[in-house]
Order: sequence, then C-alpha cells, then structure tokens
Amino acid sequence: MPDTLPFEGIKVADFSWVAVGPTTTKYLADHGATVVRVEANSPLDILRVAGPFKDGVPGPDRTQFFADYNTSKYGITLDLKNPAGIEVAHRLIAWADVFTESFTPGTMDDLGIGYGTACSLNPSVIMLSTCLMGQAGPAASFAGFGFHAGAIAGYYEITGWPDLPPDGPWTAYTDTLSPRFLAATIMAALDHRRRTGEGQYIDAAQLEMGLQFLAPQLIDYGLSGRPVTRDGNRSDVMAPHGAFPCQGEDQWCAIVVENDHQWAGLRRALGEPDWAKDERFDNSAGRLAHQDEIESMLSEWTHALPPKAVMEALLSEGVPAGVVQRSSDLQHDPQLAHRGFFRNLDHQEMGTVPYPGHQFRISGYDSGPRSPAPLLGQHTEYVLKELLGMTDEEMVEAVITGAIA
Amino acid sequence: MLSPYTVLDLTDEKGELASMVLGDLGADVIKVEPPSGSPSRAMGPFLDDAPEMERSLQYFAFNRNKRGISLDLEAEAGRKTLFSLVGKADFIVESARPGEMAGRGLGFEAMRQANSRIVYVAITPFGQDGPHADLPASDLTLAAMGGPMSLQGHPDRPPVRLSLPQAWLHASVEAAVGALTAHALMLRTGQAQFVDVSAQTAMTWTMLQGMVAHAVQGRDFNRGGSIVQLGTINVQLVHECADGHVVVFPIGGALAKMVEWWVRDGIVPEDWMTAEDWPMYHVKLLQQQPVAHTIEEVLDAVGAYVRDKTKNQLLEQGIADGVSIAPVNNMEDLTRFRHLQERGFWLTAPLPNGQVAQVPGIFANLSETPMKVRRWAPRLGEHTGEVLGDLLGMSTSQIAAASGRALG
Repeated sequence: MPDTLPFEGIKVADFSWVAVGPTTTKYLADHGATVVRVEANSPLDILRVAGPFKDGVPGPDRTQFFADYNTSKYGITLDLKNPAGIEVAHRLIAWADVFTESFTPGTMDDLGIGYGTACSLNPSVIMLSTCLMGQAGPAASFAGFGFHAGAIAGYYEITGWPDLPPDGPWTAYTDTLSPRFLAATIMAALDHRRRTGEGQYIDAAQLEMGLQFLAPQLIDYGLSGRPVTRDGNRSDVMAPHGAFPCQGEDQWCAIVVENDHQWAGLRRALGEPDWAKDERFDNSAGRLAHQDEIESMLSEWTHALPPKAVMEALLSEGVPAGVVQRSSDLQHDPQLAHRGFFRNLDHQEMGTVPYPGHQFRISGYDSGPRSPAPLLGQHTEYVLKELLGMTDEEMVEAVITGAIA
Repeated sequence: MLSPYTVLDLTDEKGELASMVLGDLGADVIKVEPPSGSPSRAMGPFLDDAPEMERSLQYFAFNRNKRGISLDLEAEAGRKTLFSLVGKADFIVESARPGEMAGRGLGFEAMRQANSRIVYVAITPFGQDGPHADLPASDLTLAAMGGPMSLQGHPDRPPVRLSLPQAWLHASVEAAVGALTAHALMLRTGQAQFVDVSAQTAMTWTMLQGMVAHAVQGRDFNRGGSIVQLGTINVQLVHECADGHVVVFPIGGALAKMVEWWVRDGIVPEDWMTAEDWPMYHVKLLQQQPVAHTIEEVLDAVGAYVRDKTKNQLLEQGIADGVSIAPVNNMEDLTRFRHLQERGFWLTAPLPNGQVAQVPGIFANLSETPMKVRRWAPRLGEHTGEVLGDLLGMSTSQIAAASGRALG
C-alpha cells in the first residue's frame, strides 16, 4: 500500500445513520479520510439490532449489517438531546471538512446543528442531507427505509411475476444506488472546495436518485402511455431469458440468448437436440413468440445437470449464463477471489469476518477496507482528545454532563 | 463543480451513465462515437417505436450534459484526433471487453503516453483480468452471478431479477465514484490512474445485508417474496389495498400510531393499546424476548386496515400521523406523484421529432453550484466541429479530415 491515500487528511463528521449516509462516508473512510461516525446509545442505529449477527447471536457489536457500511471509521456516541452533547457536536462540525446527516428534514435545525449553524462554525463546510423524499415538498416528512422509497420509485411494481402481487427487490433498493451518487457528489464538492474554498449544501432525495435508473422507460411512458411492469425474468427483446432449474435443491442457472448467433451456440451446447432445430426459433421474434415452449424444453436439459455444468456448457459456446449464487457461493467465486473482493478483518467482538470490498480497483493502490467497523462508542475518548483536542478536564465534563452518554 | 475537467466518453450502454454523472456534476463530457453511432442508439424504447439512431430513448436518457463528436477510430486521422483530445482531457471512460481497447492501440498504456495525468476508467462485467474476465455476460446473468437474484422472488417460483436492466447502471455510477477517487489520488501522486470496475461486484453490493450472510451467521438468506428478514423475524412488507398495494414496515413510533388506528376502527381490541411497549416492539422481537402479540397478529391487523383504502389515502393519512405507508407506484402513479411535481423534479425536454417529453431531473440539489441539464443528448456528431475547434483549435477544413470521415 503506498503512503498516499486519495482522501488522506479529509475530515468527515458523519451524523447519518442506517444505510445510505454511512455507506457514502465509507467510501471516503476506506480511501483515506478520517471519518467520525456519531451514534446515539438510544435509540441505537437500527442496523445494530438487525442481522446477520455473528453466529446468529444478537448484539449491537455483532452485526455485519452495521459492520459492512462502517469500515475504516472511528465511532463515538453523543447524546444530541442534551445541550452538552450539542456542544461537542459543534466542535466536531467545526473540525470537519464534510458533515453528513440523514434524519427527517428539520431535525438538525431543531437540534441546533443545521446548515446555518454549520456555516457559522465552519464557513467552507460541505454538508450532505439525505433522506427518502428530500428536504422540501408535500411528502418531505415521510420517514422510512429504502423499502418505502423503492416502492414509491416504482421498483416493487417491476419486481416479481405478472400474475402475483409484487415481490419487490429483497433489499431496501434505493439504499443500493443512492450512496454511489452521493459519494460522487461529495468527491466533486471536495474538488470544488479545494480549488475555490467554497463549501456546499447538498440536498439529495433517495427517491429522486432511484428514478435515475428507470429513465428510458419513464420517458417512454410519458410519450407512449406504455407502462413497464414485472415480468419474472423475461425481456421484451430477447428469448430465452430466464432462470432455469438445475440438479440439486433450489439450484438455478440464468440463461440469456441475445441474438441468433447465441441461439446457435445454445443449440451446440445442448448437442443439437431435435426440438431446438425448429425453424420457428431461428430468429428472435420467433423465440419471443414461442418462449413458453423453449423454456420448457430448456428446463428439461438444465434439470439433469448441476448449475455449474449448465453454466460452463453454455459459456463455452459464447452464451451468457450464470449460476444464481448465494452468499455462500460468493465466498468461493474464483473471480471474486482473484480480485480480492472479500477482505478478512479482525473485529474485536466478532473475530475474523469477511467484509465485502470495493467494486472498483485502482491499479497500484489497495483501497481496503482498512479496519473493521467500530464497536459502539469505541473511539469516543480518542476522538475527543486526539482529534478535537479536548483537555482531560473537558473530557470529564463531557462524561458528567452526559454529552457522550 | 467539475467544470475545469474534460471527460472523454468512449462507452456504450454499459457506461454512458458514468460520464453523465460526471457531466451532471459539471464536467465537460465529450461523447466520442463511431460513425455508426453508439451501440446504445440501437436500443429501445424508441420514439414513435421507430428503431432509428436519433430516436433511442435509451441513448437520450443517459447522454445529457454531453457534447457529441463522431470519430472513425479505425482511420489514422480519427485516432490521431482522439490522442490529441486525450492530451486535453482529465478522464477517459470506456466499457469495451477486457483487452479490446489495448488491442486497438487505445488502452491505458497508450493513453498515459499521451497524457501522464489521465484517469482511465474501464467498466466490464467481471473486471479486467481473472478466470471469468472474458466470459459473456448480460444484465440477468450478472444479477445471478453477483448474488441479488438468489434473494428475490416468490419462493415457489424461480429467483428473479428486476424486470428492467440495472447492472450496468450500478456499475456506471460506481465508475463515477472510482473516477473521482482515482482523480484525488492522481492529484497527490501526479501519476495517471487506471480504474477497473466490475459490474458483478456492483451487483453483489445490491445484496446489502445479504452479501456475507453465510460467513457471519452460518446460513444464507433465501428469497421469500416480499418479506424482509430481520434476524429470525420475517416481516411481510406488501399488503393489498383498495387500488393496488402498499409497503408497510410496522416498527417503532409508526407501529404505536397504527395500533391507535386499529383500536379506533375496531380491528383489534382496546387492550392492544397498553398490551405492549409498541415503539420497542421490534427490538424485543429481534432480541427474541416474549411479546404480547405475535408479528403475525400485527401483520394481520396491517392487512385488515389497509384493505379498503386507496394508496393515496394511506400515504396522506400516514404523513399526517407520522406513519410511513408507501404506495407501490406504477409508472402512471409516478408521473402524477404530487411530491415530485411540487419539487420540480421532472424536466421538459425537446425530442428529435419535435415532441417534448417529461424526463427525470437531476439527482441532487446543490446550494452553491446547482446542477442543471445544460444540454440534452447530442445528435450523432452534433458537436464535432465545435469540440475540435474549441479544444484543438482546428479550422473547418481540418475538421472533416480529422474526424476520419475523409479517410474512413
């Protein structure tokens, strides 16, 4: 690892919680920034009470849900309902280059740590507020999770089967895409500040970030009135396009034929069976029209083979195919191993646990994550004394007044 | 914010959102297309259902804030022009197969010779090297190999992807983060940087708490329709209402308020009010402490309450009472969603056929340097003359030859 990290020296006061804010600041932390994650003892960040827990045993310092998003950060606890806690918060905001929060709009102002206060403490601060619906608008106070924003953004409508109620994405979907937009925005804001000295207030609605990924179909709907809804795994331009059952319990392989060339490849992979020679299947319009039939015949072939064998037979003929991998499969995925995607980190409470790494690699630079997530309040003393320069007397005062409770 | 920087966009549909994000953030993005146009121009949906290059809404949606030039990179003049542009650029983004750009003499090594401070971003299915690097891939197979599909869909049916392609969009916005991270590193080291983005791992990250579940808790999560699995608790999120479905997550203060609604409407007996410390109910469940009413009873009450009300009624009543009930919006609902309209999210864009369209706006609001759509997606080669004139100081007569058209 070189001595130089991309964001070394950048200071972040992270008052956000749950997923979107912490994942955003994780990028900065793993890439070298000093990030202080501010938490409350009560209520705990909900990710600290949600699993997966190490060995299935609950505990605020035993959950990888929290740990994945909070690597390479310092953790402190502050009571923001206590004026003494707010005083410490002011010192943190004055120290920081970047200040993030993800509460319901108005909360930070009510606590006395809104953007106005932040600017008076730190005129060139970059502040990010992110919530489901944005800071203003008739539904701004709608608080919730990425499940809610995912439903409002249309992702439930398009996930599942046409003859069943919507399944929705398994995860809080807008939480998966929002941190990408936000990390890029903060990095751009830092570059702007480096050149101009000017800070920034960023108001980002997770709903509006979510809608970016549906743009072509939303535009088309406005023009043609043709809505998109859930359709299992099918595509309206390619067939076959689905997950096919394989040998073993609940094992599947995804198979896609994008063009006639790949259809020929699929036929070869299957050993040129008679059913596939049907000339109705020779072009994509024909395959789309008869996809029920193709799916049923193809399933007979896949069913007799382990998923990996299905995948390898098709890939070797140039047909896109992929085993539907579970988290246990990902631990043995040779490509992820080649990239060093999972990083084993030794966590004080959980022991050695694999952490998912970054989705991009920068040549000649190891992005980490560099250290495991903090225990609740693990670095309170270090942050107050070493980063904020508090004296021993001030530390004692913070304890007595309940600021750090 | 990124206005001093120039981005050369050599991508197709697999990376066009990456450079668009940089463009939204202020960079001067130059979309470099072959004379046949970006392959994304052949992807629907199409305006008037006419599959023509200037009518692809896929292209239109992900190429705003870019200037478009056409260069024939198979011709020497076109390549020479590209390298001249590289000398003026800060970022290159491409989404070709691993090794393809290098094979054409356009890879990172060639580019850094032309510009020792260039940030070169490459988006591929599995990354630049490794046992799967050269395998064919598609949105569906990346959702499978990345992992999220294993979690999605009804338990009695095959696992599903989202019905619209997502993998390249995740990878693309991730690539924008990679570009700016590498740029920050370049500023410190003075060295050109190569960023290798894997769409498979971008899909893995969409599993959130599912990513390393087995290694941590000893078991995978599995698909279960619209349930959220919290520890050992399964919570059904989707409930049928009068005109569709809503998502309800009955926890915390919202649950306490809902219990009041249910008692008021006679859905549950009055003693529910005091039977439980409702704001802490989910914590007790997660910590496997005894509760007065099971989660199944709670979910039944949710279902009974929403059954005869509309999505909008539930949304509005919820907002008034601090209870979040999310409508499962379809596209019609979305285009009429009052909150988005009042925030001014939608923008009006002129289309190549003279129509106007309502299009999604920018993804965040900035106080000092507001992001805006400075230009809509370019026609093929629309700005070739302007860009070559601006950046390379070429004259009109030089431009035709330089774009490779004369030689191509």
